[in-house]
Amino acid sequence: MKIVSCFTRLEELEPLAEAGADEFYTAIGELPAFSFGFLPFNRLRPAIEKAHALGKPVALAVNAIRSPSFKNPAAVPEKVRMIDAMGIDAFIVSSPHLLESLSSGGPRLRARLQLSSVQPVFNSMCAAFFARFGISRIILPNQLTEPEARKIVSFCRKRSIETEIFDYRFFGCAYVNGRCHLHKPVYYRLTADMSDGSMCRINADPRGLVGIRTLEAPARAKELPAVVRRLETRLAGGGAPRLSNAASFFDFFSSGVQYLKYGTRHDSLKFKVGKVKALRAMLDLAEKLSSSLPKTEARRAFIKELTRWDGGGF
Amino acid sequence: MTEKGIKLGTMTLDGLDRAGGFDAAVRDYKWFYLGAEFCENLIDEAVCGEAVRLQGLGKKVCLLTPMLSEKGIVRLDAVFKKLLKLVRLGSIKASGLEITVNDFGAVELARQNRLPFKLNSGRLLYDNIFDGTRRMLKAHSALGFEFFKELGITRHEISTTGLRRRSNFTNAGAPGPGSRKFSLTLFYPYLNLTSARTCLVGMRDVEPEDSAKGVTCARECRICSFAVTHPSIKEKLVVRGNTVFLHFPGKFYRSEEALAALRVDRLVYCPFQ
Repeated sequence: MKIVSCFTRLEELEPLAEAGADEFYTAIGELPAFSFGFLPFNRLRPAIEKAHALGKPVALAVNAIRSPSFKNPAAVPEKVRMIDAMGIDAFIVSSPHLLESLSSGGPRLRARLQLSSVQPVFNSMCAAFFARFGISRIILPNQLTEPEARKIVSFCRKRSIETEIFDYRFFGCAYVNGRCHLHKPVYYRLTADMSDGSMCRINADPRGLVGIRTLEAPARAKELPAVVRRLETRLAGGGAPRLSNAASFFDFFSSGVQYLKYGTRHDSLKFKVGKVKALRAMLDLAEKLSSSLPKTEARRAFIKELTRWDGGGF
Repeated sequence: MTEKGIKLGTMTLDGLDRAGGFDAAVRDYKWFYLGAEFCENLIDEAVCGEAVRLQGLGKKVCLLTPMLSEKGIVRLDAVFKKLLKLVRLGSIKASGLEITVNDFGAVELARQNRLPFKLNSGRLLYDNIFDGTRRMLKAHSALGFEFFKELGITRHEISTTGLRRRSNFTNAGAPGPGSRKFSLTLFYPYLNLTSARTCLVGMRDVEPEDSAKGVTCARECRICSFAVTHPSIKEKLVVRGNTVFLHFPGKFYRSEEALAALRVDRLVYCPFQ
C-alpha cells in the first residue's frame, strides 16, 4: 500500500517525502476543488518538477462536484489541459460532466483521471458506470467497509483500476460528501458564527436536544427511550456510527487496496508531517504483522495496537 | 398545469388505508411516490404490488431508489426484475411508472435490465446539477443537464426552501441552463440537508474489532421522526433514519406561473419525509 499525501506549499514536499509519502496531491484556487487549502497557481509547475525530482507522482484535485459554470463552460477543461501539459500525473475529478468532457472531448489527456470520493462509489454498478470514462483509480468514500467494497475492488482489479482509501483516523465524517448541505448555512440560519466542520458535532448537552414528532408505530413506542438516548448521544458526539476503523483498515490492507490517503489540505506542515508519519507507522505495523503472523492473529494484534493509538497529538 | 403527487416514504399503502388517508390521497393526487429515497434497508419488493394497485386506480407511480451498497443493488435488482415481469404480464403500464435514481449504480442497473421506464435524477444527485440558497436556485450550466439527458434523464427532483425563488434558468445562451429542455419535481415541505450511510437512530455503534458487513437496523425509522434543536441553527431540524431534514412549513410558491418559470411542473407532498 502506498501513501498519498496532500500538500499546499512547495516547501512541504521534501519533509512529507521523508515522512513516508509515496505520492502527492494538491488543489489550486483557479480550478473548482472540494474543501479548502490551495497551492498558489504559480507554484504548481515548480511543485510538479520538485515532486518528480523526488521520484513521486503528483495529482491535482478538480473535485468540486459542480459542472463548469455556464458563464464560461470551456474554462475548466481548458485549464485542465494547460496543466496537463505541465506534466501533472493525474486529475482527481468528481463532476460526471467534467469526466465525460475530459475523457471524450478533445485530445486525450496525458495525465490519468481519478474518481474523487466526493462522487461516492458504494457499489460495483456505480464503479462500472464511471469506468466508462477511462478512470485509472477510484478513491473510495470512507463510509464503506471492506466486506461491502469487496465486489468493487474485484471489479477494479479486473480492469486495472486502482483503489484508494482514507486513513480512518484523520478523515471520518459520517455524512456523505457530495450529498451534504450541512456545512454551509445556505438553507438554514445560524445563531452565531461557526467554524467549518463543526455542524456535525453539536457540542451541546445531549439532554433535551431531541423531541418526538408524531408517533407512527404506536406498537413500538417502548423502543423510543433507547432510540432517543442513542440519537441524542450521536448528535452531540459526532453523528451517525462510523464504519471506518482499525478492523476495516486492516481488511482493506489485506484485500489489496493500493493507496492510503491523508487529505486535510489546510493542516499545518507540522501536522501534515506528523500525520504522514502516523500513516507510515500504521502501514509498517500492518506489513510486519501480516508477514509474521497468520492473518487472523495479525488482524487481532493490529486492532489491539491501533486501539491504543491516542490520537497522536493531532 | 402542475401535477400533484404524494410521497409515502415510510408509510405503506395499507398503512395509509388503516390511518384513513388512502381515499383522500387517491382523490387528491395523480402521482404516488413509493419506495425508499434515502436508505437501502427499506427497499422492498412490496412496492411492486402497490404500483399495480395504484395503476389500477388510474394513478401514476414513481419508484424512489436510494444510495446503494452491494446489498442494495441486489435488492433493487429484484424489484426491477419483478417490475419487468409485471410489465410483461400486462399488470403494469411502463408509461405510467417512473424510476428516480439517487445513485449512479442504479442508472447502470437500469441499463443492464433494459428497463422500459423513464428515469429521473433524485434529490441526492442534486449537487451534480444545481447550486443555490434559500432564495436562489441555480443550475451550474447546461452541461449538467446535457450529461443527464444522454442517460435519458430530463426530470430532476429538488426540495422546497420556502417561498423563493429566483433562478438562472432564463439564461438561454448556448451554455445557459435555459437553453435546455428539462423539468423539475419539487418536494415539500422538507429539504434533505444531509444523509449518512449509517443510521442515526437505528444502527448500533461499530466496535474497533468489527469490520461491519453492512448497515444493520431494526427499521427504527418507521417508529417516528424526531425534531432536533441544534444550538447553533435557528430552525429545528428533523431526523428520519439516516437523513437530516429542514422543515419549510410556509407557503412555497406564489402562482402556477412562478412554478413554470422555475420549470417546476410537478409538486410532491411528503407528509412522512
